[in-house]
Amino acid sequence: MTILEANNIFKVYGEFNGERETVALNNINLLINRGDFVAIMGPSGSGKTTLLNILSGIDQPTSGEVTIGGENLNEMKSDALAHFRRKQLGFVFQDFNLLDSLTVKENIMLPMILEKKNLTEMEEKIHELASLFEIKSILNKYPYHISGGQQQRTAVSRALVNEPQIIFADEPTGNLDSKSSTAIMECFERIVDKMSTTVLLVTHDVFAASYCQKVIFIRDGAVHSSISKTTNRNAFLTEIMDNLTLLGGR
Amino acid sequence: MTFNKIVWKMAKHHYKKYIFYLVCNSLAVTFFFMFTTVYLNKQLVEMEQSEGIQYVLSIPGVALFTFTIFFMSYAHHIFMKKRRSEFGLFMTLGMTRREISKLIVLENSIIALISLIIGVLIGATLSKFFFWLLLKFVGIQEILFQLHAKMFLYTVIVFLVMFFVAVGQSLYLTFKKNIITNLKNEKITENVSDKHARLGGIGLLIVIGSIIGLYFTYTGHRGGDFLLLWSLATFIGLYIVLYHFTSLLIELIKKNKGYYYRRLLYLTNINYKYKRLTSVMMLVTVMIMVTLLYSTIILFTYITTEREAIEETPFDVAFIQTDSTNNVGIDAVKAIFEQNGNRVQRHVSVPIYSYFQKDYYEVVHAYTFMSLDAFNELTSSQFELKNNEFIYFLNENTETPESIPYDQGLRIPSGSDEIIYDVKEVIAEKRMNTLSNLSEIFVINDTELSRLKRSVDGLAAVVHLINLEDWQNSKTEVKKLKQTFESLHASTPAINVEHIVPEDELFQISSRIEGYEKNKNSNGILFFVTIFLSVLFFIGSFFLLYIQLFSEVDKELERIRKLYRIGITSKEIKRMISQEITTIFMIPTLLGTTLALLYILAMATDIGGVIANPEIILHFLIVGGSYFVLQFAFLFYARKKMYRLLSTKLAHSIDKANI
Repeated sequence: MTILEANNIFKVYGEFNGERETVALNNINLLINRGDFVAIMGPSGSGKTTLLNILSGIDQPTSGEVTIGGENLNEMKSDALAHFRRKQLGFVFQDFNLLDSLTVKENIMLPMILEKKNLTEMEEKIHELASLFEIKSILNKYPYHISGGQQQRTAVSRALVNEPQIIFADEPTGNLDSKSSTAIMECFERIVDKMSTTVLLVTHDVFAASYCQKVIFIRDGAVHSSISKTTNRNAFLTEIMDNLTLLGGR
Repeated sequence: MTFNKIVWKMAKHHYKKYIFYLVCNSLAVTFFFMFTTVYLNKQLVEMEQSEGIQYVLSIPGVALFTFTIFFMSYAHHIFMKKRRSEFGLFMTLGMTRREISKLIVLENSIIALISLIIGVLIGATLSKFFFWLLLKFVGIQEILFQLHAKMFLYTVIVFLVMFFVAVGQSLYLTFKKNIITNLKNEKITENVSDKHARLGGIGLLIVIGSIIGLYFTYTGHRGGDFLLLWSLATFIGLYIVLYHFTSLLIELIKKNKGYYYRRLLYLTNINYKYKRLTSVMMLVTVMIMVTLLYSTIILFTYITTEREAIEETPFDVAFIQTDSTNNVGIDAVKAIFEQNGNRVQRHVSVPIYSYFQKDYYEVVHAYTFMSLDAFNELTSSQFELKNNEFIYFLNENTETPESIPYDQGLRIPSGSDEIIYDVKEVIAEKRMNTLSNLSEIFVINDTELSRLKRSVDGLAAVVHLINLEDWQNSKTEVKKLKQTFESLHASTPAINVEHIVPEDELFQISSRIEGYEKNKNSNGILFFVTIFLSVLFFIGSFFLLYIQLFSEVDKELERIRKLYRIGITSKEIKRMISQEITTIFMIPTLLGTTLALLYILAMATDIGGVIANPEIILHFLIVGGSYFVLQFAFLFYARKKMYRLLSTKLAHSIDKANI
């Protein structure tokens, strides 16, 4: 069942058809199904983050359409889109995006608080996620008192709190050491396996990408190729590296 | 391109930081210079000394001085916080400490010099304009705008001292911290964990205690002595409350989880910012409190000048007459007033007899006696007295004393014997104008007064009390009467009685018009000084809040960006900004207003309490209401500007895909 569909996505910075025009995305078409675990890879400046921002409704395409769960993002006004994002989508960022003024528990709760969910429901959800991601002991701590890995697990919990249809992750292991990176990628695996949530991530990290079922490579704003995991993770890792070599750059 | 050129290029690129610092410094100099033009104005200084009003101006003076110093160091702190990350970068590129020091001193010196020039010029111009404006409205010609060397000197000295302290501190901090800390300086998170809810409660107790203390001590002539002490206690308590009490409040709110979570972003952000905000909030609260308190007191005093004159001088004209002094026939006195059509409506003559006695320490005591008939006529009462009784009449508007020094009887030596009177009644009420020894009077019956005159040596006199048709137009006539008495006095022999006050003073005229004019003048000058300071305080407090809000705009944008990423709507952003700015503006306003009101209630005990003087509350409402209107106008402006600024920056950030 298709959860995300992107058709003919173009993103142009500067004047369209002008001299200073920069084409960031050039006719991207994507189809992501429920329960997919997909990575987008490509060299620096290839348009990965721009694509993720457009697919998640944070940014608008110059032309083209994005549909998530049958809802066309282009037709939504700014506030409706904000409501849609916090109800239906989850986000994980490289810089964790946690608010320093809130405790871990409050950071996780934030999307539910914005949605005005009831107290019991919030407490139950926090309990469930904190157990799943092993962050129970740090629930009352502030972000600057915990490690990067713990911060990212907090961010993953927050992304899941409203039971979104899809999770978007922008370089989720970019600020983490290898141990924490493994922990985070295992978190994503658990989400996909146990909750059938769709995860779409953008990464430079081949090790992180090897956890996914499918990797899409983009270059110069266009889809270059894609590969799916058919064997074990180590073999898939080698396959990703080979494709990156073919793609050029990192 | 040399390294110096790179530094200069960076400075030009970040010109806004320098302009901000320059504006703040110029503003501080402007404020301080305006403050000196009032405090060092020779006519005002003379007036302060003659009227004994220094203590009235002490608290606003201290508050404004503190504000100026705080404002300068605060601007420097913000400027250097932004600069230190650049210095960290320069250091990584190989700039030596010596070069960094030179750069810090050089750029601060240039800004300081320009600020001094701009601040003094603007301060002098604004002050002159302000003097002109207010003198035109208040109508006092005695105080004129002045400029003299001391004003410049004090401003330069204070500014330079602050400059050296601030630059020294910056040099110390820049070199004490390592390069990495300097590089990350702007991003370092403030520690929020050192707040203690219980200390907030102690702070509140100090504030309440100081107000109760003021209530019980602010009476009598020495009541003002404790004012500064209680104010300091209030301010210390207030600081503790502001610093720690938000935590206590949030702890309490947290107990109702549903309520707390619904306001999570607002409450936690206010709590988080509070450490940085405490000093600003504290200073703004004090400034608002002082502004409202003094404006109300001075407005009350100014508006009630006429009532005050009537209370102080129950009769329009009063003088004492003896056989040899002021001895002008009452018809001649009436003629002086009536020659210009100002008819005498009432004339009361009160015979008195003063007896003077030296005590063991050679201190002279005066005992003034009045006949019962005259007292009954004066007070429209029907008292009766036996031969050995007296009424203790305090010619003052104070509460009737519970005990008097003559509870055991008044003993007047008469030859080898003593005349003893017992007190029958104590009456405290101002019924006559204040003339030399007419504050404490012993009323005895007519027979006894005649006996006393025969038995002891003293001074027989008559107090003439006159009411005119139009006392406000009696200035010329009073002057003429005075001249008449003075020329008569010059040609008559001195009174041969030992008395405690000089003869000239004993036979002065007490007139309502003179009292009124004197009060109007001193109250007018006080009113002028207070308005001057209030305007400075108001503008100053607004600038402080404004700078506090907008200097942190980048941090605010970062937070909004984070929230936007997880799906906050523009409506929710707007509401959040609105709630936070309203709180930051309104907490000091509400606290300052409440404290000012409590101080007014406590200080009003000196004039009989607010129940006896309800106008003071009315005046407080007028002053407070006007302040609220202005504060709301500024709040709406700041809120709108902040929202626009953040929305634009956020949109820009989205456009650049920098989200």
